[in-house]
Amino acid sequence: MVLSLKGLEAGYGAKTVISGVSFTLEPGQILAFLGHNGAGKTTTLKAIIGMLRPSRGEVLFDGHRIDRLSVADRVALGLRLLPEGRGIFPDLSVAENIDVVAARNVTAGAMFGIPDVYKLFPVLEERRTTRAGSMSGGQQQMLALSLAILGTPRCLMLDEPSIGLAPNLVERMFQQVREVCKSHAMTAVLVEQNVAAAMKIADRVIIMNNGQIVFDGGPDEARASNFWHYF
Amino acid sequence: MLALQLLCNGIVTGCALGVVAVSFSFVYATTKIFHVAHAGVYTLGGYVAWSMLGHGFPTAVAVLTAIAAATALGALIQGLLYARLERRKATHLVVLIASLGTLAVIQNILAAVYTADILRFNLPWGAEVFRVAGNVRLTMTQLLTVVVSLVAYGGVMWFSNGTILGKQIRAVASNPFLAEITRLQPRRVHIYVMAIASALVCLPGILVPMDFGLQPYNGITPLLTATIAMIAGGVGSITGAFVLAIVITELQNMSLLFIPGEWSIGVTFFIFVIFMLFRPTGLFAAAR
Repeated sequence: MVLSLKGLEAGYGAKTVISGVSFTLEPGQILAFLGHNGAGKTTTLKAIIGMLRPSRGEVLFDGHRIDRLSVADRVALGLRLLPEGRGIFPDLSVAENIDVVAARNVTAGAMFGIPDVYKLFPVLEERRTTRAGSMSGGQQQMLALSLAILGTPRCLMLDEPSIGLAPNLVERMFQQVREVCKSHAMTAVLVEQNVAAAMKIADRVIIMNNGQIVFDGGPDEARASNFWHYF
Repeated sequence: MLALQLLCNGIVTGCALGVVAVSFSFVYATTKIFHVAHAGVYTLGGYVAWSMLGHGFPTAVAVLTAIAAATALGALIQGLLYARLERRKATHLVVLIASLGTLAVIQNILAAVYTADILRFNLPWGAEVFRVAGNVRLTMTQLLTVVVSLVAYGGVMWFSNGTILGKQIRAVASNPFLAEITRLQPRRVHIYVMAIASALVCLPGILVPMDFGLQPYNGITPLLTATIAMIAGGVGSITGAFVLAIVITELQNMSLLFIPGEWSIGVTFFIFVIFMLFRPTGLFAAAR
């Protein structure tokens, strides 16, 4: 197992948003983490990455508890987050974006170095000197994905990566995520509103409602069941 | 002739204030803190240099000690005050008031130790006069101010765009949230920024009083001009802050030809209002 949550409870101030959230992910597994707005998906991601301290429960990474570690320490272990709509440094050039993140995260023998992300997204190499914030939404998301995987990612959490992208781009990007996961045994947690696209690449589906898990199973099982009932 | 002399003096003061503006802008763009206490760091640098020179230390030692003291003060303000306030999720207003308080404390300590009287640097080499063109004269201190300021500006440009730490600082300024989750250590970067900006502001903090003398409350007017230069130049633009500081100082100086000197602050704000009406994001905002 890579990532494991046990009875996680978290919220803001006195307000509990998620409770009793438990699941375990294996290497290379792709999880479609679904639910309507406010169901608690982003809160769960925040608790996993360390931006929110859980009030109860445990977060385990490779079998070790990480819920007391700082965000930076969790990222160093290989836990990564591609945040919703703000995954790049808009005022820096593409190359500068990649250079600063690589300088702090790529060590000898890392899974993804600078040449690897350029190989994965050749368009970024062509646009090296372009100000990142002035690129198209699709290119910005490619850069965001590159920044999220530089170094040795073991579990990548993507928070609504398809927002603002054309449908064909979404499909292409998701396929790329799947290829990267499968070739590098990297686990992915995909939070998405675009349910159809997410289900296409997922090995497992978890649906949240009102801060709790209401469905956990394979994508076929999800399709066969009264799927929309859970939202 | 008077016009030419005013023009040259404007360039000298403008360059010095340009460094104040660049350093202030550096802090604001990265930390979003309206670091008013920067005026106190500016003043402290001058006093430390004055004390060291008074005790017979060589100029280089005095300047380096002053820079070290300013750097340490800046890092302490960030580490002991701003960082703690940020951890407690203080609003911008609370941080601004804390900064104003810090400025008042620094000024009061300086006044208590050195009195509020004007202190003059006694540097024979600094008063050496050069004829620049015709009857326009500049002192050694003034020439040094221009050279040091230009080197400081060039140094910041190079540091910001050419070094990995400089890029890291710009990244933290550009997206603090992403900086946190990509391990760019925004909190540590903020301390670096404050230390660097404090070292920078120490340069005009020493050079300007060499011309005009030292007083505990000297830092306010330079900071005011620097703030306006930063906003009119476009927040985040180093060149914008530097160039606008020179432009504003020039306009202030040249206005002396037509109106009495006590109106020069009014002129500064008039320029500011005009800028904000026609270019609210700042002159160099697009060139970032």
